[in-house]
Amino acid sequence: MNYTLSSLIFLPLLAALAVLLLPARLERGIKAVTLGGTLLQLVVAVWLYLGFDGAAVANGQTGYQFVEKVDWIGFSLGSLGRFQIEYFVGVDGVSIGMVLLTGIVGVIGVISSWTITKNVKGYFSLYLLLMTSVMGCFLALDFFLFYLFFEFMLLPMYFLIGMWGGPKREYAALKFFIYTLIGSLFILIVMIGLYTSVIDPEATAQQMGLIGHNVPASVDMVRQIQQMLQQGAFSEADLVRTFSIPAMMEPANFIPGSLLHVFSGVSLFDLPIRFVAFLLVLAGFLIKVPSVPVHTWLPDAHVEAPTPISVLLAAILLKVGGYGLIRIVYPVFPDAGAYFSTFVGGLGVLSIIYGALCALAMNDLKKLIAYSSVSHMGFVLLGLASLTNEGVNGAIYMMFSHGLISAMLFLVVGVIYDRAHDRMILNFRGLAKRMPAYTAFVVVAFFASLGLPGFSGFIAELLVLLGSFSAPEATGMLPRWMAIVAVIGLLLSAAYYLWALQRMFFGKYWIFPELRGKAQLTDLTKREYLMLLPLAVLAFVFGIFPHLLLDKTGMTVTGFTELVLRNGQEQLNILQAILHR
Amino acid sequence: MEEQAAQLTQTIDSILAGAGSLLPELLLALFFLLLVTLDLFKSKTVKRLLPWVALTGLFSVLVLLVLDRHLAEVQFLNLLRSDGIARYAGILFSLTGIFTILLSLQNPKIEKRKQGEGRGEYYALILMLVLGLNLMAKSVNLLMVFLAIEIVSIASYILTLTLKEEKRAVEAGLKYVLYGTLSAGVMLYGMSFFYGLTGSLDYTLVSFWRSLLDASPLMVTVAAILVFAGFLFKISAAPFHFWTPDVYQGAPMPIVALFSTGPKMAGIIVIMRFVAAFADPTIASAFSDVQLFLGIAALATLAVGNFTALWQRTPRRLMAFSSVSHAGFLLMALLAFGSDYTVSVLFYMTVLLFMNFGMFLFLQMAEENWQVRTLEDFQGMGPRIPFAGVMALLFLLSLTGLPPLAGFIGKLLVFSNVWEAYTATGQPMLLALLVVGILLTGAALFYYIKIPYYLFLKRNQTAENLVISLSNKLLLVFFALPLLVFFFKPDLLLHWIEKLLA
Repeated sequence: MNYTLSSLIFLPLLAALAVLLLPARLERGIKAVTLGGTLLQLVVAVWLYLGFDGAAVANGQTGYQFVEKVDWIGFSLGSLGRFQIEYFVGVDGVSIGMVLLTGIVGVIGVISSWTITKNVKGYFSLYLLLMTSVMGCFLALDFFLFYLFFEFMLLPMYFLIGMWGGPKREYAALKFFIYTLIGSLFILIVMIGLYTSVIDPEATAQQMGLIGHNVPASVDMVRQIQQMLQQGAFSEADLVRTFSIPAMMEPANFIPGSLLHVFSGVSLFDLPIRFVAFLLVLAGFLIKVPSVPVHTWLPDAHVEAPTPISVLLAAILLKVGGYGLIRIVYPVFPDAGAYFSTFVGGLGVLSIIYGALCALAMNDLKKLIAYSSVSHMGFVLLGLASLTNEGVNGAIYMMFSHGLISAMLFLVVGVIYDRAHDRMILNFRGLAKRMPAYTAFVVVAFFASLGLPGFSGFIAELLVLLGSFSAPEATGMLPRWMAIVAVIGLLLSAAYYLWALQRMFFGKYWIFPELRGKAQLTDLTKREYLMLLPLAVLAFVFGIFPHLLLDKTGMTVTGFTELVLRNGQEQLNILQAILHR
Repeated sequence: MEEQAAQLTQTIDSILAGAGSLLPELLLALFFLLLVTLDLFKSKTVKRLLPWVALTGLFSVLVLLVLDRHLAEVQFLNLLRSDGIARYAGILFSLTGIFTILLSLQNPKIEKRKQGEGRGEYYALILMLVLGLNLMAKSVNLLMVFLAIEIVSIASYILTLTLKEEKRAVEAGLKYVLYGTLSAGVMLYGMSFFYGLTGSLDYTLVSFWRSLLDASPLMVTVAAILVFAGFLFKISAAPFHFWTPDVYQGAPMPIVALFSTGPKMAGIIVIMRFVAAFADPTIASAFSDVQLFLGIAALATLAVGNFTALWQRTPRRLMAFSSVSHAGFLLMALLAFGSDYTVSVLFYMTVLLFMNFGMFLFLQMAEENWQVRTLEDFQGMGPRIPFAGVMALLFLLSLTGLPPLAGFIGKLLVFSNVWEAYTATGQPMLLALLVVGILLTGAALFYYIKIPYYLFLKRNQTAENLVISLSNKLLLVFFALPLLVFFFKPDLLLHWIEKLLA
């Protein structure tokens, strides 16, 4: 077996152990080990990106590459048959971009953390733990494993915000923790429901002795097992229940009579129980995305978090939400995904507009950027809800591009905050005169974020808008006005960025009198160049050569939309009976 | 006359046949007597040896239970049943006793005070309590249940009063005795109703339940509520939890840890045996009423435990309500009737044992060595005790039920059982329990995180490191390690429990 993915996940963990073993006074050593660990992770991630074959077949289990699958926890619960949890990781078109992004931002974050002085050992070990759990989240193909990493992300983040953050850090950290925990508890309910309903046909065949142990099942064998399952030919005790996400994506693996089976006929609050389950996981991931109206934890967390942690939060952690929607919510509940597409798209549009309006009203530069994140994440929802190839590719591209650009934006805010210990827009004017190089990067970051052609954000927004505009004909999802309203969001984002630029950077140099003594407005240091330059270049490269990522995602997305549309339509027809009751 | 003689020999025969199954209890009783006798000697060496004698006793019982397979499936006079559940429970109780003594050895207050008088009585009573717990887990007869519960209760009353020179201990002891005797009386009253209605105290008999079904529903309901009042009191479930915070506030820390695990586990097993009687198809239809009643109790317990814990300002009271909420989770597991919940319940109890003792050890260190009385006193202490602080974090996260700790697996198993049962029966009560149970985990995080919040997030001026003794460090690791192991390989324990139950 190929251990590339495991090394990606566990390299930071090893580095964290090394950090823990180092004495606390060796601060440089600790930083060097962390940097080394994340650099290695980046190298492996790039290698993985290069080695990933975007043209391979995408549908079903075969679409995953670099797969590692080992039995982890297995136990039989008497009449319920066996439960099986696997260490099951793999990469496909959806995750490859996220993995690369995590590698890049991980390194940038360490460079940005170089100025941390308080409790260095604690900080960097938590940082590395966070990197492990984020990477694990993007690579896990077993729901249990995914959930483990998903939940474990909260803990390092809580302490990173709570111990190294700004004045209201305790409040922000707790709010972040509680919000996301509630979200993951919704996901937990559905996870329990799913794994009690879904079997692994291969393991079931092995359990029943139809094939030998550790022998992979042929496609025919899997078909046969699934058919027998649907006819009720198995006794409960023979079934091997699984957390495997690919298994959950196939309706034929659901046990007849289980609540989440399409034919279960069970309804809750006048909705089929599958729809209720969909809404629960959706809510869980929407909190993470975050989408209006469950976004309120984000501005607080961003404002209070130290710069590198804001970078990680915006660039990678938010992506877990969108990623979860694509990886789990839509493929497992395609029926509900199709049924609620207007709702999800509507939330997306609402996030785009509301986030942009909030950003327009902010005086704190960091808050402005936090709200712009909410606005941009709305595009992910809109693209996904369209269920067109363009839309979904756009959603993935948006996540990747926003990862690069938001990292740059938060770094840029960090630069001014480091110097002036203030970041209110109205306290500065004409900074371009004093800090020309800095202003250049701010302009690049702002323009990249507002979707100027030539930068990656433009490609992402273009694809999403194309997808959502064509959706009414292509897939029958989303009313047309949504795409049109989303365009207004683009206008608004141009407005808040340009207005901020004009107020803070252009005009005559002036800063708020109280800041004059403290602020040392020198231009960028080498370390800051080291962080900002690669991000700017990458945002540019991915804006000019979109095929660098689209080639990798294309096949997977085609498979995704086909699966969701086909299964969704079939299952919706069955569920109509409940809906029209 | 001859008839009686024949009956007598028969009885003696069955006593002799079953006596082997009582070996652990006999051993405990023996060591109890040994401790009481040794306590009479004035010699200081003997006094110092007392805890180790108690430990030897508990440890030999533990070894006996782990190794001996012949203990399984013997019934003693229709009173006590030694089966897999009882055996595993016995293992848990022995561990509880051992842990309690280990914590006591680390407690300067108990150790200092006991130099001289009362030392033997303290350790002897722990043995007696464990004996009572074993009997509770084995009882299949209402009268035996009552007697076993009373053994446990009487030992508990005295142990609460260990530090009788402290005012809060006396208050706690008094409240405990009053509540305890009242609930015992109520339970006995209910049992007498049962006896009157059925003419039998053996609740494993189908005839017992049939005659209950024939009797007036009002009478049966009243009697059942009275009996369950006693059970719920023992596991500190709402609305019979009022003694918990006061007793937790007043008793010495090792005893609090003991109360939060031992009697709760035993009480749950008593209820489990009671509920298991419904497996018989002829009476199974009557289960939905019990389910409704226990379901309401479980919901109330979960709500009261979690929401009241939010307002607590001392770690002891916080843990008291945490223990109430865990009683709720365990009760909820028992309602997943039809699914195979025994393994899950036993697993949950095992995890509860380790995380509670770990947390109480930490609180004991905080209270005795660093004079922490309220949650605010933890302020800024994290960086001064990095190791113990991280361990406390592990225990608290496991109590909350977050991965990667065994508390998560425990909850996952319980929730899965409830989901299974809901799939099978469609009882709305089960769905309500499932949703409430899972969502209250969010509330639970809110209060459990308070301790790490004060430890790490709040800052304090003083920065010098606090010393932690090696034995305390080792014990913390000892309690924390299983929590990690049982998360990453829960099947190790699950397989073993299954084998014992088979």
